[in-house]
Amino acid sequence: MAGLLDKRLWIVSGKGGVGKSTVAAALALRSARAGKRTLVCEVNTQERVSRFLERPEAGPEVAQLEQNLWAVNVRPQEAMREYGLMVLRFETFYKTVFENRLVRQFLRFIPSLQELVLLGKIMFHLQEKLPDGRWRFDTVIMDAPATGHAISFLSVPQVLIQTVPPGPMAREAQKMRDLLVDPAVTAAVLVALPEEMPVNEALELHAALRDKVSLRTHAAVLNQSFPERFTEADLEALGGHPELLAVAQAHHDRAAQAVLAGTKLERNLHAPVYPVPRLFTPEFGRKAIEQVMEHLEPLVTGAA
Amino acid sequence: MSTTALSPALAGKRVLICVGSGGVGKTTAAAALALRASVDGRSSLVCTIDPARRLANSLGLTALGNAETPVPATALEPLGVHPRAPLYAMMLDMKQTWDELITRVASPEQRERILSNRFYQSLSTALAGSQEYISMEKLWELRRSSNYELIVLDTPPTAHALDFLDAPNRVLDFLDNDAAKWLLTPALKAGKLGMSLFNRGGYVMRGLARFTGTEMLQELSNFMLAISSLNEGFRERARGVRQLLEDPSTGFVLVTSPHPERMDEAIHFHKMLKQHRMEVVSLVVNRVHPMPTEALWADAATLTPSRRAKVEETLREQHIMAEQDHTGIAQLQAACPGVPIIQVPRFAMDVHDISALWRTGRYLVGDETLG
Ligand SMILES: Nc1ncnc2c1ncn2[C@@H]1O[C@H](COP(=O)(O)OP(=O)(O)OP(=O)(O)O)[C@@H](O)[C@H]1O
Ligand SMILES: Nc1ncnc2c1ncn2[C@@H]1O[C@H](COP(=O)(O)OP(=O)(O)OP(=O)(O)O)[C@@H](O)[C@H]1O
Ligand SMILES: [Mg+2]
Ligand SMILES: [Mg+2]
Repeated sequence: MAGLLDKRLWIVSGKGGVGKSTVAAALALRSARAGKRTLVCEVNTQERVSRFLERPEAGPEVAQLEQNLWAVNVRPQEAMREYGLMVLRFETFYKTVFENRLVRQFLRFIPSLQELVLLGKIMFHLQEKLPDGRWRFDTVIMDAPATGHAISFLSVPQVLIQTVPPGPMAREAQKMRDLLVDPAVTAAVLVALPEEMPVNEALELHAALRDKVSLRTHAAVLNQSFPERFTEADLEALGGHPELLAVAQAHHDRAAQAVLAGTKLERNLHAPVYPVPRLFTPEFGRKAIEQVMEHLEPLVTGAA
Repeated sequence: MSTTALSPALAGKRVLICVGSGGVGKTTAAAALALRASVDGRSSLVCTIDPARRLANSLGLTALGNAETPVPATALEPLGVHPRAPLYAMMLDMKQTWDELITRVASPEQRERILSNRFYQSLSTALAGSQEYISMEKLWELRRSSNYELIVLDTPPTAHALDFLDAPNRVLDFLDNDAAKWLLTPALKAGKLGMSLFNRGGYVMRGLARFTGTEMLQELSNFMLAISSLNEGFRERARGVRQLLEDPSTGFVLVTSPHPERMDEAIHFHKMLKQHRMEVVSLVVNRVHPMPTEALWADAATLTPSRRAKVEETLREQHIMAEQDHTGIAQLQAACPGVPIIQVPRFAMDVHDISALWRTGRYLVGDETLG
């Protein structure tokens, strides 16, 4: 099994709130520690990764968080400006065109243009080179939006290729799609919780990425799993303590749910599933992220 | 027995709208509220957007479609209660509802032009807030054309509160595009689009075409012009929608998880609702972990050492989770003074049958309380 370190673009997605940013932050930290220049991209959202790592907010420009680790919160307005400048090349020309009120209004309604420039900026950084010819970033980690939005976000290149007449937008889309579907470059990591809906969403996401984006699922992370603790004998012995039995039974059920969820994911995704336990830390910060990172070691290195 | 702010709302409001971030329990709360209202004697409709279809199952229906379906009385039998008024449910199909709306406001020949346009579908789904808008629009339509005493609307997971509240404005803005008119009207009349690109906005338009391609600009402009002719019909409806949201007979139920890290989303949502003069009937904090009682600890101390260790470990974990939730709820209370907060515990199992919905409802109205 190849580890993530063999890929350059790591895409993390899953249902809202399941721990996508947590996993993205842990993976980013691990990649940086492996000596890879790493960029972690959040997509137009409340920034979480920098906060988890206890660093100042990165904002819409690429900012260095620590050695080998950079972050950016990709936002439409700035991304559009960068893209516009790239196409039009001159600042004054850009201003005349893009700062025209009517043009701005018009641009807003070009379907998927916003997603295109957001994705475009991430793909741009993936291909960016240093003067000496090396990649500016060895690893780019995308903390992608939640399921539904992720599907539309990542299928934008494909949709544009199909709907938009040939032209600059279509060409841009084609380039992005080629990178997204290349299994040597890109790996999708789906995050789920051991609950019915998050697992089902991961399965949906898997199918949609496969069918609409031609993106294979590399692995799944089952976050907030409860390890087994109480044996059947324990539960029986608690028979005389109904309230404690309820506590133990609830824990037992959650652990059983995690096992079921893991099996269901493995069967349907045909990909390995890496459990990360529910952590009990009063604050969820850098220490917690480092713990999560340790549990993801086999995912990153590919070791069994 | 104590009652909560939702109790009078269920008896008096005509519309309740469940809002909140993804996965917090909006659909569950919406169904639980409608169920309770019908049992208590008001004819109710729950209008959900949950594509997971399991709401249908838990209501004893094999499927839910874009039409209102009565929930059979047999589905409620396990509860041992007899609903005093009928309960209906429906699942909003976004695309179909948009198509119906266009059909309603467009003249027959415009209709074809719009529905068959290849930009139409992506616009009706991709425009920020378009899902939110169409669900509110449907609500308005239902409210006008039906006699339910209460309609409970479930909403899509909204990442940005503004997508929801600004949706009517955005849709109007969209239709009201001076840009398309300014750029294209004269040329379209003359049937020579290419000309206008170079005459009117000249320089600007050439730059823009470099960005999008000329062909794309043309096609999109045609579409925008077709749709902007719907302006009047839409404007009137959007005004109606906004009025309905501000109406005193309408209330919002803001659902959130208790997690402190995620509380900022709920607080922001609440602030936006207030700013838009919309009434938040109650904040619902869902899936709260109860604090283990002293009695539990004392009981645990009587166990054999190895079992005692396992149980105490579990109690310690529960204690931490309960404390985290408590911190989150305190933050919420401080940020939203004067707004009632209702807590619903985290059940051991998913809420996926009618009994669990009923139980959720009991917490929502205060028949049962936490801790
Ligand atoms: N293994 C874990 N143990 C305990 N708590 C966790 C764990 N993983 C995540 N959390 C908690 O869950 C919260 C949500 O995680 P995170 O922000 O990574 O989710 P997300 O999927 O990125 O959410 P969104 O959909 O809003 O982007 C975190 O703030 C953290 O407190
Ligand atoms: N109090 C609770 N205890 C245990 N499970 C719950 C509770 N409330 C909701 N759930 C479960 O949590 C999941 C999410 O709930 P629900 O679908 O109502 O959320 P939602 O806000 O509508 O989600 P979405 O934003 O995806 O539409 C469901 O599986 C539901 O059964
Ligand atoms: Mg996140
Ligand atoms: Mg829902």
